[in-house]
Amino acid sequence: MDMVIAENLVKVFPTPDGEKCAVDSVSFVVRRGEIYGLLGPNGAGKTTTLRMLSGLMTPTGGTATLAGYSVSKQPQEVKRVLGFLTANTGLYQRLTPRELLIYFCELHQMERPKAEARADYLIDWLGMGDFAKLRCGALSTGQKQQVNIARALVADPPILVMDEPTLGLDVLSNRVILDFIRRERDEGKAIILSTHYLDEAETMCDRVGLLHEGRLVAEGDLDTLREQTGEQRLSVIFLKLIGASESAGAVGS
Amino acid sequence: MRFHHRIRTIYVKELIDILRDRRTLLAMIVVPIVMYPLLMLGSIQAVSYQVQSLDDEPIRFGVLTEDDGKHLHALILRDAETLSRVAKRQGAESAGDEDDAPKPLEDYEVRAMASRAALEDAIRERQLHLGILIEKGPLIGGRYRRIHVEFLVDSDNVRSFNAMTRLQDVVARTRDRLLENRLAQVRLPRALAKPYIMDVSDLATPTSMLGQILPLILILLTITGAIYPAIDLTAGERERGTLETLMVCPVPVIDLIVGKFLVVTSVAIMGAALNLTVVSATIYFGGFNRVLAGTEETVPLGKMALILLALIPFAVLMSAVMIAVCSYARTFKEAQNYVTPVILAVLIPGGFAALPTTQLEGVMLVMPVGNMVLLARDLLLGADISWWQVSLVLISTSLYAGAAVAVAASVFGRESVVFADSASLKTIFSRRLIKPAAWPPISMSSLVVALLFPTWFFVQASLSPGPGEGVQRLLRMTGVLMPLLFVACPTIVLLYWRTDIVNAFALRRPGVRSLAAGVLIGLSSWVVARELNVLQSSIIVIPAEILQSFETMAASIVAMPWWMALLLVAVVPAVCEELLFRGFFLSGLMKSARPVTAILVSATVFAVFHFLLFKFLVTAVLGVVFAYLCWRSRSILPGMVAHLLHNAIGALMVIEPSFPQTLGIESSDGDTWAHLPAHVLLPGVAVFVLALILIPRPVRSADEDLSSASFDIRSTA
Repeated sequence: MDMVIAENLVKVFPTPDGEKCAVDSVSFVVRRGEIYGLLGPNGAGKTTTLRMLSGLMTPTGGTATLAGYSVSKQPQEVKRVLGFLTANTGLYQRLTPRELLIYFCELHQMERPKAEARADYLIDWLGMGDFAKLRCGALSTGQKQQVNIARALVADPPILVMDEPTLGLDVLSNRVILDFIRRERDEGKAIILSTHYLDEAETMCDRVGLLHEGRLVAEGDLDTLREQTGEQRLSVIFLKLIGASESAGAVGS
Repeated sequence: MRFHHRIRTIYVKELIDILRDRRTLLAMIVVPIVMYPLLMLGSIQAVSYQVQSLDDEPIRFGVLTEDDGKHLHALILRDAETLSRVAKRQGAESAGDEDDAPKPLEDYEVRAMASRAALEDAIRERQLHLGILIEKGPLIGGRYRRIHVEFLVDSDNVRSFNAMTRLQDVVARTRDRLLENRLAQVRLPRALAKPYIMDVSDLATPTSMLGQILPLILILLTITGAIYPAIDLTAGERERGTLETLMVCPVPVIDLIVGKFLVVTSVAIMGAALNLTVVSATIYFGGFNRVLAGTEETVPLGKMALILLALIPFAVLMSAVMIAVCSYARTFKEAQNYVTPVILAVLIPGGFAALPTTQLEGVMLVMPVGNMVLLARDLLLGADISWWQVSLVLISTSLYAGAAVAVAASVFGRESVVFADSASLKTIFSRRLIKPAAWPPISMSSLVVALLFPTWFFVQASLSPGPGEGVQRLLRMTGVLMPLLFVACPTIVLLYWRTDIVNAFALRRPGVRSLAAGVLIGLSSWVVARELNVLQSSIIVIPAEILQSFETMAASIVAMPWWMALLLVAVVPAVCEELLFRGFFLSGLMKSARPVTAILVSATVFAVFHFLLFKFLVTAVLGVVFAYLCWRSRSILPGMVAHLLHNAIGALMVIEPSFPQTLGIESSDGDTWAHLPAHVLLPGVAVFVLALILIPRPVRSADEDLSSASFDIRSTA
């Protein structure tokens, strides 16, 4: 089942000297129980695409549907079925992880006792018992990212959007996060994983979309891409595809 | 989850968050508790020490001749002897008040200077404190001499001035003693020497001095209390990256802003209360009443509570303004830059209001900040303030606060501000970056209306006729200014921000039913209005001066050509007020509030704009009816027709006295507010009710329009 449907998403930013097209008619679908990798170099438009999907930004053109809800027409419903996580989402430094989780549970319309139970469940499940009662400001980067994951999961959403979730993490924390993402996939969630670590994407993603300068230059599972390009490693495939699109662009212009 | 539950959740979390911040605690608790006593103790002791030490310093007199010097010595010496004699005599009677007893001049020196110019220079250069020139007049009656003493003083120099007053005391005492002695020599009673005795009893209480300075201090403290949390909860949230997290939660931006705004208000009030308590305690326990007020009375603690109460609407306003301003900022530093000019802007009306001659009247009643300063002062001084003054201050302050919260909500979630794509302030005013909008946002409409409120009040107040004058000028100027302010201003704002004028003013063709309903309402609403007034007059008695002003208005209308009267009384207000309140304001409100709330708010504000409490009920009810009509018909026109007819009938009653008589209504001499006769009342009410029924039910497309309208704001917010 298609949990996420993006159709011709466009985002144009006004700039002091004109306009900049950050995302240019990007379309893809993400199914239940699948990790979809949105890959591309910095500035390719990954984050902007994800922000449009999560209702943080209004698309200039195109539509997006999450679990059947239209991003532009039902933004509150979309936010209910979505867990959103980025590398640089901050935590409230002066709250403890437990307080923070209870707060976000309550923002997701849970009553207090239910919110506390859910927070305690997530703390237990993600093994955060050791630091659940320290202030977030005192946690390590890996611990913070664990809290962030728990935060994205408070409403047990069927769709997870993860923007560079492993950025700046050490090997051990990295392992924890990636294991968790796989587990969630196996439980039937639709997951969008954006990253520029291509090796990581290669081991994690069921299908990938390659973004370059706002456009989706290639899409499909890894085997298809390998056949298409005759290369094995994703990073090489990527460079080849980008080169092709750039030369195509050069020919076109 | 309901609105208030979500807001409570946000409120509790933000309050815990801000109170756990060491910087907040430091600024809110430690600074007032430690700093005030220290500052006050320190500065007051320093002042009294300086005054004391001034009296102990030796005084340097300058004279021109040896003779003058001797004369001066003799004068001071004899005065000291007399004083000590008097002191001994009084000391035998009672232990006396040492402070009040005159002190002799003891520690001084006298220098002779060569010339007057040299003497003046020495005083200017502060080598000498006072110059004394003594001139002996001719003998009077062969026995007595009149002596002329001239003081050369530099009154900018406190030591010079002090020297003069002390020597003046010596001379005055000597003069009185000599006079008494001379009277005794001719065997007249000594009392003859003083035909007048002056005593000053100062009636100022300690509160009056506090009353002058405390409101301003409190306002500063309240602002200071609001600044830090306002920045921390808006720009701080953005800077720490938690805003994005918050925005992906299924919570409307307005809830977030209201929750944050309530926290800032609470912290500001807590801060002000704490500051007030510590100041009171310092004055009370430090025994500074004497120094501050010159009497032994204690600080009136009951009044402090009253002031704190009056401070709440102000804290609400300042918190809203601070939240709105800081919402534009993306970093702490940027927010601090925005806050500074706001504080200055607040201090100007505040400072003006703190002037002792400024009264809580006229424009000051609706002057933001200024009216709070005056209200707090008048409460402290126990001045005579009427409840309508208090309510005007509170209503206008709430109006400004509401507009500020609406602006904050529309700015807070703005893409360009959340993600720092481009300079945030630029995106708001740069026309090229403004996307065409279908509806005016609530922030725009409420801000324009909030700004029009004091402007309109000022216009009305400045045009109000003096005693005996007619109101033709008021009516004529209203005919010009109302279109300018109520229609041209919103239009310019709408055009600049590329907002759809048709939607904003509901400039659509109405259905036949709506139009018919409008006509019928217009024809019958005066009956309802009149009965409402009768009802109201049984509860609130209308003061004679208001009745008088109604009559002046009637006389002026009669004096005009009928077409002009109709134009100024019916056409202009109907068109302008409908376009502003049922068009611009209501369409902005409808976008983000429920229809019921939007209609009630627009009607209340419409009523408030009439500035007369006695018109409030009728105008509010009519405001609800017109707004309902506009909402249901999706057109401004039916309400405009109804409004026009309502006003025209009112004017007609005045212009053509035979009209009410034909209807069998008693002429309005004597009891103005008698019930209408049944043969007018019953049909009138029936037509009114019929018209309300005639108003079309909401059609499907109207609903869709509204839901897409409310979606619009969410997706842009």
